[in-house]
Formats: sequence, C-alpha cells, structure tokens
Amino acid sequence: MGEKTTGMTRRDFLRMGSAAMAGGCMGLPFLGDAVAGTAEKSRVVLIRDEDVFGFLGSLDQDVLEKMLDQGVMRLMRADTPAQAWRQLVKPGDVVGIKSNVWGPLCTPPGLEEAIVGRLVTAGVDPKNIAVDDRGVRDDPVFQKATALINVRPMRTHHWSGLGTLLKNYIMFVPAPWKYHGNACERLGAIWKAPHLNGKTRLNILVMLTPLFHGIGPHHYSQKHTWPYRGLIISRDPVAADATGARIIQAKRNQYFEKEMPISPRPLHIETADTRYGLGNSHPDRIQLIRMGWKEDALI
Amino acid sequence: MIEAARADALRELQRDLPSKIMDWSAEGPDRIFDSNTLFEYIDGGAEVYRAYNLRQCLSRRYVTADGPAIILDVFDMGTSKDAFGVFTHDMNGAVVRLGQDARFQPGWLSFWKGRFFVSIYTEEETHESRNAVMALGNGVASLIKQRGSRPAILSKLPTRGLCSDTVRYLHHPVVLNYHYYLADKNLLGISNDTDVVLADYREDGEVARLLLIAYPDVKTAHEALERFLKYYLPDVDHNGFAPLENGKWAGYRTYKALAAVVLEADSRGFADQVLNRVFEKK
Repeated sequence: MGEKTTGMTRRDFLRMGSAAMAGGCMGLPFLGDAVAGTAEKSRVVLIRDEDVFGFLGSLDQDVLEKMLDQGVMRLMRADTPAQAWRQLVKPGDVVGIKSNVWGPLCTPPGLEEAIVGRLVTAGVDPKNIAVDDRGVRDDPVFQKATALINVRPMRTHHWSGLGTLLKNYIMFVPAPWKYHGNACERLGAIWKAPHLNGKTRLNILVMLTPLFHGIGPHHYSQKHTWPYRGLIISRDPVAADATGARIIQAKRNQYFEKEMPISPRPLHIETADTRYGLGNSHPDRIQLIRMGWKEDALI
Repeated sequence: MIEAARADALRELQRDLPSKIMDWSAEGPDRIFDSNTLFEYIDGGAEVYRAYNLRQCLSRRYVTADGPAIILDVFDMGTSKDAFGVFTHDMNGAVVRLGQDARFQPGWLSFWKGRFFVSIYTEEETHESRNAVMALGNGVASLIKQRGSRPAILSKLPTRGLCSDTVRYLHHPVVLNYHYYLADKNLLGISNDTDVVLADYREDGEVARLLLIAYPDVKTAHEALERFLKYYLPDVDHNGFAPLENGKWAGYRTYKALAAVVLEADSRGFADQVLNRVFEKK
C-alpha cells in the first residue's frame, strides 16, 4: 500500500455521527451531518395488508396487486394505476424489470407479472418489456432499455449486511465480486455507470417475508423470516433501502431481545447517499407515507 | 499444521461420505466448486472462504420423502489454521462436541477438523432433521482422520477476561472489516503473511476489543504500525493511547514482530491492563 490514503476510517464515521457508528444503520443517524444525496425529502410509501397471505400461507395475487396499485398511485399522486404508471414510463420506453431470483427468497412471480401488466396498461409494447436477474447483461431488452423498474425482497446479506435495491444492480457488471470489498460499500458506483445512470423509474422493496438474520454459508433460515406483509415503494432507492433497513434492525432487536446491529454494517446505503448522491438515507429527509395494516409495523 | 500435502484430500473424503443418513438419501451428483466458481454456489458469503484460501468445496444434498432437505458442504481449506479461521467467522450457537470445535444453531451445524470446515444445514429444523444433521456431522467428522493445530498466535491471547466466543482468527483485511470496520484501506498491512487474532475482553463491567498481529519480521511490523498511527491514531500520546470520538480508548504496543492494538476499550486503564497482559505472556 502506498503512502497516500484517501479512504474512510472508523474514526471518520465517528466524527460524523458520534457513537452511532457501532450501532449499525438504525436510522443511519450519523448521516445527518453528511452531505445530502438530494435536497428534497424523498417520498417512500410503506403499504401493508394483513390479508396478502391466504389461508394456507400462499400469496393472494389480488391483494398483492391492490397493494401495488394503491402504493404506486399514492406515490405518484395519481387517481388511477394507469395514470400513475404513465408518469413513470412512456409508450416508447424499453423497460427492464430487474428482479431477484435468489432461491430461498425471490421476487414473487406474481408481482413481476403485475408490474408487466401495469407497464402494458401504460402503453409500453409487451415486446419492449423483459424481466430478468442474472441474465440482464445478455438480455436484448435490457441492453437497449430506456427505463428500469427495480424490484426485490429485502434480506440480510452475509457480505453487504443487507440485500437491497441498491445491491440488486450488481448483476449489471461483469465482475460482481469486484464490488464486494468493505461490505460492498461501492455498490452505488454501479448506478452511476453510463448504461444505468438515471434510468431507474421505480423501486419496489418487497417486505412480504423479509429475512432478518442469516445462518450458515448460504445465509438463510426460514425461522428468521417473518410475515411483515409489506411493500416499500419509492423513486429513491436509497430512501427505500434505508427504510427497509430500519425495519430489519427493529425486528432483530425485538427478536433477540437486545441491540443486535445488522452485521456487517450496510455501508453501501450510506455511501449511496453521501458519496454517490443517489438519494436520501436519513429518516429526517424521508417522507414516510404509511398505508394499510398498522400492527407490528416496527417503525 | 497440516499443509496442503494432498491436492485430492477432498476427493478421498468424498469416496467415503455416506449416501444415506437415517431416512435421507443423497440426491444427484455431488457438486465441486473452487475459489473462482464458489460465487455460483454461495451468494455473497463466498468472499469469506476465498479470504481463507479455499481450495475446494463439495456440496451434497440429502432428501427424504416427508422432511426437509439437508445440505452438506465440505470446505477443503488447505490448512488447519484456515479451517479453524473460517470456523471462527461465525461462532454463534451452542457448543457441540464434534470435530475439533463445533457449534449448533437451529438448522445449522458447523465444525472444523484438520484442513476441513464442514457445514450441515437443514432447510427446516424438525426433530428428525436435527438428529439427521447431528448423525451426518458425527459421520463426516469420523471420516476425517487427521486432526490439525490451531494457529499459534492464539497462545498470545491473555486468558483473563477473554470472551472465547469472540475469538476470530484471520489474515485478510476484509475479514477484519467484517467483524470490526477499521478503515477502507489496509492500514495494518494484514495479508497472508500475517497471523491476526481479534477478541473481546470483559472484566468488572468493562469491555475491550484486542487485535494481535504477528508480522513476518520486525521491519514489516514497524512499517505497518507507522502507517496505522499516521492515519488512524495520529493523536496517540507518548504511552500509546488515544481517546476515540465515541468516548472509548484505543492503544497499541509492540514487541519485535508482534503488535497488540486495543481497537476500543471502555477506559484507558482497561486498555492498558489488556495490553500489559499480552506482553506479560511473551
């Protein structure tokens, strides 16, 4: 290593935000003194429905679609789903829906189908819509995409702390492992790449059965998921992720009956705000719009 | 220390792995991954095994008609110190007498023995699947004939006040940052040529986190500490202590090629005590 070092240290974070450093991302309080990603408050819709799972635990497609429609309408201040989606995409857009296929906790196919349906309703040619995850770099629709919809479940993640909307774009780079350093703190850089920058129209963080703690090499345990029955919807991926992170953190503390910081600390949410200017991570700069079922909301 | 004497150690073990365990039977062919292909199998966590110089990983899935699947992953780490190291990455759970050290969390058994780290995971824990996981663990452990040594640097840890479940052996900066984010850059010059152990101490209500680094030589140690002090503890006093911004204390001491750093302690006095004990042992 050379003499010059421009990187951050733990003490830099401490200077920015006092003792919150060691406490994980609970509210990301230290970012209050950092440079804001955007000047305006970010609108984030948290919509939950107690009935989204049916009698045997299967996902109720009608309820899920109602949650999607109500959430997007409220976010876009629209009276109908079509009106809301027409604000997000134009008929001439080529739209890639970036989902997540991770086996134990994937983007629900029913949600992907619902999004495709809304895009078609908004006038997008079905031929110009694709849903993909690990094949996005080879997908012809994604290769010429003018718009992206980002949708994935939230989970704790062994290396980045949290599997987030921000992290969901790692499949757009040829060597994802190059972004694994220091808890994946550089993930925000991917969003600034020329072929992605500014193309994301909507972010949906699936909080139906989030994973709040992982075990083993595969970092999964069904025991550590719970039916939160929610969707977090925002145009700001950082604000959506930061909101989801607060819920995960609260659940961990509740479950373990003590302060149980997300580990490793999901630095990439903070740096997406402070270093890459992709959005707002501090609750003070997030307008949280709560809809639907309120019980055990945790935040 | 068991060095990588046999490149086919995992294949030899594979030959004897059980095809049935209680009501579970091996499904499909085993899958073998190396450090380059492990990402295809383990999303995210592969970085840990690479940081401990993974040679190969064998994955076998056991299934039964009426219960959850059981996944056996055997990691050939090449050396016992790396097998031990990757085991220490996650030591949550109950202590189990199996292999050389083992832990059991609901649904997951992990242990190390010799050059191997073994993970046995069930997708859903039932009474039967738990018994099968333990039976499979005992079976695999008995197939690994050669035991290994723990890293020598562990003997440098003072025993008084040591929280044994917090001991982490490592030699890669990303692993240190996972357990205790220090800096973007590798200020302490941690590499495959250094042996590092991280551990918490607790005594009389006070807590300290100690990092010991054994460098290959005095010159390397000196250069690393100089860099660390310049960029992380520029405000260190003449006794080697500095107050941190969260009200805690950091400090360091060296002896020949061994560096001891208290990354964070509740008080200067406790940091001093912990450092003193390290060098009382030398």
